[in-house]
Amino acid sequence: MSSAVDRAVWGTQAPSLAALEGDLARVRRGRSAHVREQVATVARAAVVNIVVVAVREMHARRAARTVSELAMRHPSRAIIVLSDRAAAPDAPPRIDLYAQIPAIDRSAMVSYEQILVSASGRATDRLVSVVVPLLVPDLPVFLWWTDAPPIGARHFEELVAISDRLVVDSADFARPEETLPELSHVCSLGARRCGLTDLNWGRVTCWRELVTQLFDVPAWRPWLDRVDGIRIAFGVDADGRQVHPSQALLLVGWLASRLGWTAAEPISPSEAGGYLFAVRRRDGEVVRVRIRPRYALGMGAGDVVAVRIEASDGAHRAEFAVTRAAGGRNAVASVLLDGRPVSERSLPHAQNDVVELLSEELTIVAADRVYEEALATLLRLS
Amino acid sequence: MDVTVNPLRAGLRLARVPDPAAMVIFGGTGDLASRKLLPALYDLARQRLLPQAFTVVGVGRAELSDAAYRKHLHDAVAEFSRSRPIDEDVWSSFAERLYYVSVKSDDGYDDLKRRLADLDREVGTEGDRLFYLATPPSAYATIVRSLGRHELAHNDTGRSRIVVEKPFGRDLESAHALSRTLQEVFTEDEIFRIDHYLGKETVQNILVLRFANSIFEPVWNRRYVDHVQITVSESLGVEGRTEYYDGAGAMRDVVQNHLLQLLALVAMEPPAAFDANVVRDEKVKALRAIRKTSEADVAERAVRGQYTAGFIEGERVPGYHELAEVAPESHTETFVALKVFVDNWRWEGTPFYLRHGKRLPKRATEIAIHFRTVPHQLFTPEQREGLEPNTLVLRIQPEEGISLKFGAKVPVQGVRIRSVAMDFVYGASFLVDAPDAYETLLLDALSGDATLFTRQDEVEEQWRLVDPILSAWSESADAPPQYAAGTWGPAEADAFIERDGRRWRQP
Repeated sequence: MSSAVDRAVWGTQAPSLAALEGDLARVRRGRSAHVREQVATVARAAVVNIVVVAVREMHARRAARTVSELAMRHPSRAIIVLSDRAAAPDAPPRIDLYAQIPAIDRSAMVSYEQILVSASGRATDRLVSVVVPLLVPDLPVFLWWTDAPPIGARHFEELVAISDRLVVDSADFARPEETLPELSHVCSLGARRCGLTDLNWGRVTCWRELVTQLFDVPAWRPWLDRVDGIRIAFGVDADGRQVHPSQALLLVGWLASRLGWTAAEPISPSEAGGYLFAVRRRDGEVVRVRIRPRYALGMGAGDVVAVRIEASDGAHRAEFAVTRAAGGRNAVASVLLDGRPVSERSLPHAQNDVVELLSEELTIVAADRVYEEALATLLRLS
Repeated sequence: MDVTVNPLRAGLRLARVPDPAAMVIFGGTGDLASRKLLPALYDLARQRLLPQAFTVVGVGRAELSDAAYRKHLHDAVAEFSRSRPIDEDVWSSFAERLYYVSVKSDDGYDDLKRRLADLDREVGTEGDRLFYLATPPSAYATIVRSLGRHELAHNDTGRSRIVVEKPFGRDLESAHALSRTLQEVFTEDEIFRIDHYLGKETVQNILVLRFANSIFEPVWNRRYVDHVQITVSESLGVEGRTEYYDGAGAMRDVVQNHLLQLLALVAMEPPAAFDANVVRDEKVKALRAIRKTSEADVAERAVRGQYTAGFIEGERVPGYHELAEVAPESHTETFVALKVFVDNWRWEGTPFYLRHGKRLPKRATEIAIHFRTVPHQLFTPEQREGLEPNTLVLRIQPEEGISLKFGAKVPVQGVRIRSVAMDFVYGASFLVDAPDAYETLLLDALSGDATLFTRQDEVEEQWRLVDPILSAWSESADAPPQYAAGTWGPAEADAFIERDGRRWRQP
C-alpha cells in the first residue's frame, strides 16, 4: 500500500510511467545545469539495468542501499520491485511507482536512478508489464531475487525471461542442492539463455584462488593426483544454531569437478551439522571428505574457515592448507611436507559483503561454466 | 596428470597469477626500488596476484643484512604504497621472502648465484628469473656481462627475463650499443624495456577504443581527420633531477619515448592479433612511415623552448636558469613542439602536432583527433557561429576519458548551432582504483608478456626521428626561445601551428 512507503527513501510518487520518466529527466537536467554552462553534456554512462525483487520493505531498502553503493562502479538504473505478500492480500490489485536519483557525492557524472515499483493486492501477474517499459534499452538486465525464488510462479518465470542474469543467494535456501538445479532449468527456458549466479559461489572464489595458487608451484602440483583427504571447516554462531554448509559443499563440488572425482560413499550427515563421506579419484583410490562446523570469532555463519588438502605417495605426506586467521581479515596459505612447514604466507582475504559480491558478478556477463560443473558434480556426489 | 597445467586454474573469474619466480633487483636499495618497485610488488601481494613461490633478491654495493634490508623497504613501502596504511601481516609474510645480496666485486656474483640456487630449492621458484636493472645506465653493461660470465642469466629449469629502465641510450648509436650489450647475454625476447606510460590503463584503452569498436576505424584516416594534436604537459619543473635533466632535455626525457609511443598507438594499422610481436610490428611500421626531418627542415618542423620564472597555481616558481645545477650557458630545452607526417596510405598529408613541456599551466596528457569540416555548408555563417569541427579527445590524465565534440541546435526559434562536448569519464563507468602502471608492467614481465614493452627496433626508430633535430639544436648558437612558467610555451610554438591555419588546443 502506498501509505507504507517512505518518501525519504523512495522519492516522489509518479502517477504514470510517462510522468516518472519526465520527473527523472527533469532531475537529470537540473544536475547537469552547471556542466552545461561549460558547454558539455552529461553522458548517461549507465552500464546495466538492475531489477531487484523483494517481498519485504526492509529487504527492499537494504537492496536499494547495496545497489546505490555499487553505482560508483556500475552506474545503473535500479528497478526495485516490492511485492509484499503479507500486506493486505485482499486489497484490490494496485501498482505504485516512485522515482529518485540519489545524490552521489563523488561525481555528478555518475548516473544512478532508482525506481520503486510497489505492488499491493494480487498484483504479481502485472509486474512484468511495468518493468519492461522501465528498462534502459541496449543494456544487460540483472535480476536480483533477494529471497528464495518462487519456482513455478508465473511472474518469476516472466522476469527471468527478460533478464540476462538471475542473481540469487543460496545461503538463504533451505535445500540449496535441490533448488539450484531447478533454477538452472528455469534459466534455460527463455529464448535467450539467462545466466544463473549464486552469491554463495562468489563467497568461495577467494578460497578457490588461494587453493589454486598452491598448485601453481610445479613442485607441488603432482600431489593433486595423490590427495587422500579433504577437511573443510565452516563458521557457525556460538550456540551452533545457524548451520549453513553450502559454501563448504560447493568447494568440494568444485575440487571434485576439476580433478575428476566421483562418488564413493553418499554424502551423509555427521555430528552437529557436519558431513562425512568419501569420493573416488580417477585412479580408483578413495578420498575421505570431512566437513564440520566450527565456531570462529568474526566469521559469518556458513563462511568457510579452513580448507586442508592431505596427500600421500606412500613414502611421504603433504598437507596444503588455507585457513582464515582470527578476525577473518587475512588468510594463511601453507604447505607441510612430512609435518615440516615448507611454505607459508599471509594474504588479505576477500571481504565478502554483498556489495563486493554483486560488484564482482556485474563485471562478468557470461555464464560461469566452472560453477555449473561444480554444482552438477556436487549433485552426483550426494 | 599433465603436470604442466594446473587443473584447478579454469574459469575466467580466477585472476591471472604468474608462475613462481625469483626477481633480482640490481640497485636494490635505490630510489626506483624503494619508491616504485617494492610498493608495486607489495600491492600485488595484497591483491593476491603474486605466486605462492616468489622471492625478491635486492642487489647492491652496500653491506646489508636481510633484516636491515627488510626494515629499509618496510619504511619505503609504508610511505609509497597506494594502499596506506599497509597491512603488517601481509607485509611481514611478503618480507620473509625478501633477501639482500651485496655485490661489490666479481665474486659477489658467485654469492648471488649460490643464494638463488638455495632459494630455488627452499621456496620452489625452479630457476625462473626476472632480472631488473634499477641502476644508473652506466652500470648496465657490467651487470649484464657478469650475469653471463657467471652463468646466472640462464639455467636449465626456468625462464629468464631482464627488465631495463629508460633512458635507452641518448641517441641512436648509444641505444644500439646498449641493445648489443644486452644481446650478448639475453635474446631480444627476454629483454623488457619498460616505458611506464604504456602501463597506464588509459593508454591500453587506446587499443580497445580503436580496435574493439567498429565506428571509429572507418573515419580514422586522412579523409576525415584534418590533424591530430598530442599533448603531454607538466606543471612541475625539473627540481630534484636537474643534473640528469640538464644533460638530457625534454626531447630525450619525454618526446623520444612517451610521446612517440602515443603517436604510434594512434597512427598504427590494426594488428592481426593481440600478441606482443604482432602489436609491436605495427607500431614499428607506423614509426618507420614518419617522414624524416633533415637538419634543414628543423626550423620548420620543430620548436624548442626554455622556461623563465612565472606563476604556477598562484605560486611563484623560478626559471630554469635560476636552478643551482643548471649550467649558466645551458641551451637544454624544457619545451618541444613538433609537426610530424606519417607518410602512408592512411595518413598522407595529415599533420600530427606533438607538444610537451615543463612548467606549463597544468598537468594534462591528451590526444585530440580534429576532424574535417563538412564538405558543403548548409547553414549560414551566422547560424554556425558557435560551431567548431568535430573533435574526439582521448584524455590520458588527469581525468581519463573520452570526449566528442559535435554541433547541436540551440533550442531557440530559428537555427543557431553551437558545439557541445559529450564527455565519457572512465572513472564514472568503472570506478575502481586503477592499478599503478608498475603493478601492471611487473605482472606482465613476470608472466612474460611483452606487449606493453618497447622493442629494440621501436627504440631505434624513435631515435632516428629525434636525432637530426637534437643535433641541429646542439649545433645552433642561438639560445632556445623562452616562455614564462605557467604559459603554454614560447610564442614561436603558436606561430608554428598558426602558419598552417590551426591553433593549439587548451587541454
